[in-house]
Amino acid sequence: MSWTIEGRYFYPGAARHVPARASAEPKRILRVADEEGHTLAEAPARRVKVTSRLARLMRRFDLPDGSRFETDDNDGADALLRALRKRRRGRFTDRLERAWPAVGVSLIVSLLFGYYIVVQAVPLAAEWLALKALPTVGHAMTEQTLLTLDRFALTPTQLAPADQAKAAALFHRVAAHARGAASGYRLIFRGGGRIGPNAFGLPDGTIVMTDPLWALVKNDAEIEGVFAHEMSHVDHAHQLQRIFEASLIPATIAIFTGDMSQMSQISAILPGIVVQSAYSRGFEQQADDDGAATLRRMGEKPSHMADLLERMDKKLCGKNGCPPSWIGDHPDTAARAARLRAEDKGPITPGEDCLRPWKSGISLRCLGWD
Amino acid sequence: MPDLPAQPDGAPTIHTVEFRGRGGEYFRIWIVNIALSVLTLGIYTAWAKVRTQRYFYGNTYLAGHSFEYHASAWRILIGRAIALTLFLGYSLSVVFVPLTFGIWFLILGAALPWLANTSTRFGARNTSWRNVRFNFNATYFETFIAYVVWSVAALAFFPLIPYARRVHDYFYINHHRFGGRGFETAFAARRIYFIYLFGFILIVVLLLAVIAIAGAAVEIATHVHNVFGRFSIPLGPENFSLIVLVLFGIGTAFVASFVTTLVTNLSVSNATLEGGFKLSSKASGLRVAWIVVTNALLTLATLGLFYPFGRVRLARYRMRKYALIASGNLDDFTSEALEAQSAIGQEIAGFFDLGFGL
Repeated sequence: MSWTIEGRYFYPGAARHVPARASAEPKRILRVADEEGHTLAEAPARRVKVTSRLARLMRRFDLPDGSRFETDDNDGADALLRALRKRRRGRFTDRLERAWPAVGVSLIVSLLFGYYIVVQAVPLAAEWLALKALPTVGHAMTEQTLLTLDRFALTPTQLAPADQAKAAALFHRVAAHARGAASGYRLIFRGGGRIGPNAFGLPDGTIVMTDPLWALVKNDAEIEGVFAHEMSHVDHAHQLQRIFEASLIPATIAIFTGDMSQMSQISAILPGIVVQSAYSRGFEQQADDDGAATLRRMGEKPSHMADLLERMDKKLCGKNGCPPSWIGDHPDTAARAARLRAEDKGPITPGEDCLRPWKSGISLRCLGWD
Repeated sequence: MPDLPAQPDGAPTIHTVEFRGRGGEYFRIWIVNIALSVLTLGIYTAWAKVRTQRYFYGNTYLAGHSFEYHASAWRILIGRAIALTLFLGYSLSVVFVPLTFGIWFLILGAALPWLANTSTRFGARNTSWRNVRFNFNATYFETFIAYVVWSVAALAFFPLIPYARRVHDYFYINHHRFGGRGFETAFAARRIYFIYLFGFILIVVLLLAVIAIAGAAVEIATHVHNVFGRFSIPLGPENFSLIVLVLFGIGTAFVASFVTTLVTNLSVSNATLEGGFKLSSKASGLRVAWIVVTNALLTLATLGLFYPFGRVRLARYRMRKYALIASGNLDDFTSEALEAQSAIGQEIAGFFDLGFGL
């Protein structure tokens, strides 16, 4: 049987072309002829390279002599290939792309995968990498961070030596009950500068406490809770985890969508921030829980931490405290305080775990909506 | 569109470019690509890339003929495997032994011209129009000057950035060939300086505006919270830098698209192809920037699902503004003889996110 389709024929390696017909001849020969029926080219089907079908794209038949037949009649081209008993490569993919049910399934697969990457693969990979990298980069990172902070945000401490000695004694008491070795932590003092009342742990175990925070403390257990909280950040290498998370998500998107153009970069900013703040809320909660556990081991009440938190909040934002924030990196203060007070009676189980929502259900709070 | 021959009296014919892709169609290709890439643990990404490129090239029509992308997915896959191995080696060694960063830096610096060359040549040779292939030829030394020397100079002395950009565009366009004939572009340096200066002023104004807006937003939110207590706008003072970051990020993308479009217009509109052909690019910088930024925001609002529609939307506008002004005969082109070449350079370059091109 002979099958004919319309198209155009390009002379070998040239841009010059004429209208032409391609047909399947006996013995699996592809013949291209001009409108009058004169043969332009002939070749055995197995030596002809045919582009696979893709949307409405032109189908191209590359002949061994460098000439080419092309047609926009995709169904005709498929029939011609069938007549030539030639394999139609890429047919499966083309069918998937044209069938809406397959598109629906693909959509579900992609969304599930995206969800899996965000909630499970990235946190796990970041945690692994952070704990592995910590011994080599922890110290250098701490020095860099401190240098920058001292230059732009912090001032030298004005704390009296007696207060410093007292804080250090409390610090060592907490360190003895925390997870890391007591020698792994180091307390240093700074003036508040632009940061105000605060404390933060740096990767190598250095914990910075600002003078205005000390001024707010009314009870030893309060500042012990803060130390325990910061030690938990150090133990879990939370800072390094954030850095790895920040680069893992765009890298995965780029690999699987095959694009890192300006458009995708902008559209990655906000979700990046939302995801990052969800992760850091998870970290804060983990540190709060660990801190509460340390306090309980020391025979103190975690609710003291809640008192200090609320006082810090009022100090920063006035009598109503700070407004709740959608995308801040700390959970809402009121929610944190309530959770810490509940910790007085023992560990909260099952906890609302922002890092592993498949255990406790997806919570809008973890995404930043209270 | 019928194929118009050049007018016999020598008046040039203007052939406009047209993109015939459709958002819905590309959406289906895109989502199937992602799903298959996921199900094959990333192996399919090579085929996904070929299908995507084929779709965009094949729907771009000039004078009634579409462009075509020919790269073989197997070659791309091998390139990716090598690139991935190198990338993992790089990442892990830098994480565990930070000192190796210096060694990698030197290796990458030395390999950069080679990567740029291979990658651009691979792209050009696998592109054709009317059965005739493009080509790109540059020596290691030429590439070294254009990419490494001028980039370092521009980094060391910022006012050289526009000039370095011109060096780069000259290099990129003037080493491209089509059917054995060379492209060539040339324009006065002051024209590119003018565009960059304008962009710089826009960025400064933008930064000031963004800081003012973010300050006001936080101020208002805190005030509302203090007055109304329970009812409040959820923006704390700690969100200030975040608001600045987001607004400034969007604004910078806008200005960057604007500047890039004007520079591309300049480079392309001054380019000729041997044999009596001129190129033209007349896209509006504002329009492209608007499309890029709204695409990004819509992509964001739809969890990424708008992405393929946005890409088609941009291509439709962008392609419409390119044209070929032909005094010569389009039938006269014939392919050069080209030796086969690997995709390894291109994929390594792609993996380290080095963008070569206009």
